[in-house]
Amino acid sequence: MIQFKDVSFSYSDETAMHNGVQNINLTIRKGECVLLCGSSGCGKTTLLKLMNGLIPHYFQGRLSGSVYIEGHKTADTPMHALSKFVGTVFQNPKTQFFNVDVDSEIVFGAENHGVLQSTLKSRFDQTLHTLHLEDLQGRNIFELSGGEKQKVAFASVYHMNPDIYLLDEPSSNLDAAAIKDLRAYLYQLKSEGKTVVIAEHRLYYCWDFADRILYLNNGRIENVFSSDAFQSLSNVQRIKMGLRTIHLEDVLPPERDISYEKNLLQVKQLTVSRKKQSILTDISFSAGIGEIIGVTGKNGTGKTTLLRTLCGLHTEYTGTLLWNAQPFKDKQRCKRSYMVMQDVNYQLFAESVEAECGFGLPNADQQRIEQTLCKLELDQLKDRHPNTLSGGQKQRLAVAVSMVCEKEVLVFDEPTSGLDYKSMEQVSGLLQMLAQHAVIFVVTHDYEFLCKTCTRMIQLEDGAISMDLPVCQETEAQLRKGILL
Amino acid sequence: MKRRARNESRFDSRCKIILLILTVFTATQAPSLSFLCGLMLLIALFSLFCGKGKAACVNLLVFTALYAIRTLALQMRPGGLQTMILSWLSLMYQVYPCGFMAGIILSTTKINEFLTAMTKAHVSPQITIPMAVMLRYLPTIREDWHFIKDAMRMRSISPTLWGFLTKPALTVECLYTPLLISASRAADELTIAAVTRGVESPNRRSCLVQVHCTIRDYMAILIFATYFIAMKFGGTA
Repeated sequence: MIQFKDVSFSYSDETAMHNGVQNINLTIRKGECVLLCGSSGCGKTTLLKLMNGLIPHYFQGRLSGSVYIEGHKTADTPMHALSKFVGTVFQNPKTQFFNVDVDSEIVFGAENHGVLQSTLKSRFDQTLHTLHLEDLQGRNIFELSGGEKQKVAFASVYHMNPDIYLLDEPSSNLDAAAIKDLRAYLYQLKSEGKTVVIAEHRLYYCWDFADRILYLNNGRIENVFSSDAFQSLSNVQRIKMGLRTIHLEDVLPPERDISYEKNLLQVKQLTVSRKKQSILTDISFSAGIGEIIGVTGKNGTGKTTLLRTLCGLHTEYTGTLLWNAQPFKDKQRCKRSYMVMQDVNYQLFAESVEAECGFGLPNADQQRIEQTLCKLELDQLKDRHPNTLSGGQKQRLAVAVSMVCEKEVLVFDEPTSGLDYKSMEQVSGLLQMLAQHAVIFVVTHDYEFLCKTCTRMIQLEDGAISMDLPVCQETEAQLRKGILL
Repeated sequence: MKRRARNESRFDSRCKIILLILTVFTATQAPSLSFLCGLMLLIALFSLFCGKGKAACVNLLVFTALYAIRTLALQMRPGGLQTMILSWLSLMYQVYPCGFMAGIILSTTKINEFLTAMTKAHVSPQITIPMAVMLRYLPTIREDWHFIKDAMRMRSISPTLWGFLTKPALTVECLYTPLLISASRAADELTIAAVTRGVESPNRRSCLVQVHCTIRDYMAILIFATYFIAMKFGGTA
């Protein structure tokens, strides 16, 4: 059982993006499944941190009221004792594992608690069996796809067998197939009578799993729904609340008439390999300015490799690339294209927002930089250090760089992972603006975003293009089948 | 079956640390180059036993190349350049075996085995946990480097040795800003992942695989120690 008694918390770190929570009174019964939703910064993650003890043991701030887990007051119970009752699966699969190999990672928690070796082993076998992870046994975690990493993270909590499971946006980096597996895991927990609290932006796969849905706004629990009441929310109400779609069936591409100058960028019989192993074979397509091409396919099918090749970053390939019917060489592509990475921190180098835009350019056009920053609503922040910006602002800054350099091929790698409705809509608007001057490719698993933004979808499967369709109402059924499996 | 065989060929973490210390002592106090060559052969043998045959070959080749450079340098006209090359080489000869040994150890040590072995050796968690985080963090840097390299090339900054030589300040800035940010975030998230799974628990740690010293470990230590003692007190060869 989880109890909050008049709990308020504010972070002492003033640069923190989160605002904390106020006056939380909440009881979650044993075996209950609760979904926390609300826009970014509403306090979902803070609530989870209060439950697993990271607040107040790890994050500093002003805390009043008390939180009880199975009758233990979290503030007075050390983290290692709490970790026996509460297990947490985090958002970013990349940095939530502590070991390098799968086996050690799964048993890590139980090892810390000194569980007997024979028990460790039998529970380990049982975990692999229940979660269908036999294939991953003995593998190096660094070689796994994002979806597989997230499964290992889940398994490492499952192996400890806590009574309470907390999941913090677990689907952010997952494709549709992996989300399906995650959903099956959630039902497994429910069948075992575990208490589950899940904070999510993507609601479509988990709303019906929840017994209760809490809507948070500005650090307060503003509304509590049953799943029946929740699913009958109208689209207008839902968008007003800043929530992503609840029923994927309702998501439809808008009416568009699609006519573009098609053959600006031409890719002919492209075969890409990595370390002499062929990854993509015989890829051919052409594209033009105005198009926003969604590139979809399972984790690990070579989407990123294809786009890195387009950007001139991956050079192990055969085939022809043309720009305006002229050969488009690696170096030229590198100069004229730009990839906005999923983790934009890797591509921000300078000490201020303004300096970032001209970074590495011998004669940066100051006026152009100012105009661009204005256009992207970054002009007020031009003296800030890029690292102090929010995720969305950093993403816009990376886009600003591409605009200053007048790049003509833009690639976005999962720009909407972990975004709420409003931020997703902003990214969508941004891409549509950029499409006026560039050819745009977006790697995405996000069906709602794809429908809203893309004009065309290219799906990769087994190293080849399995689908190349315009995104419009006529193709809706095929798109849905393709991306949602 | 294969995995089982690999588990059995593992050396204990405590043994590895002792071997590393012995290597450092031997390398820094070796009276002549032939002792260092012998040490390299020993480490290559150890690496072979750890299942790192390829690394053993590569490192022996590099060391031989260093030896060849020395022979060439000795034939040069004596002067500033020769002295510079020879003094650089003498430093390399000492550092190289240690780097080789450390590389083998890092690539063959699992973090949980390391933690369990250290608890058994009664080393304080205040020392072992940061070391474990470091072990875990090293492969992350390689991943980060791939992303940063891409990002630099899209800004027309060359992530190569040539780029570094022609624009050192710019290249260093490109590397250290993202690495620093990613490192501080990774440290935070790794710590969270560890504390929410009870890494601070005062209970005695257990381990999925048996962690104990076997005859192989003792033999390895004995051989390295004998080599060190023989060098120290026996030979002037």
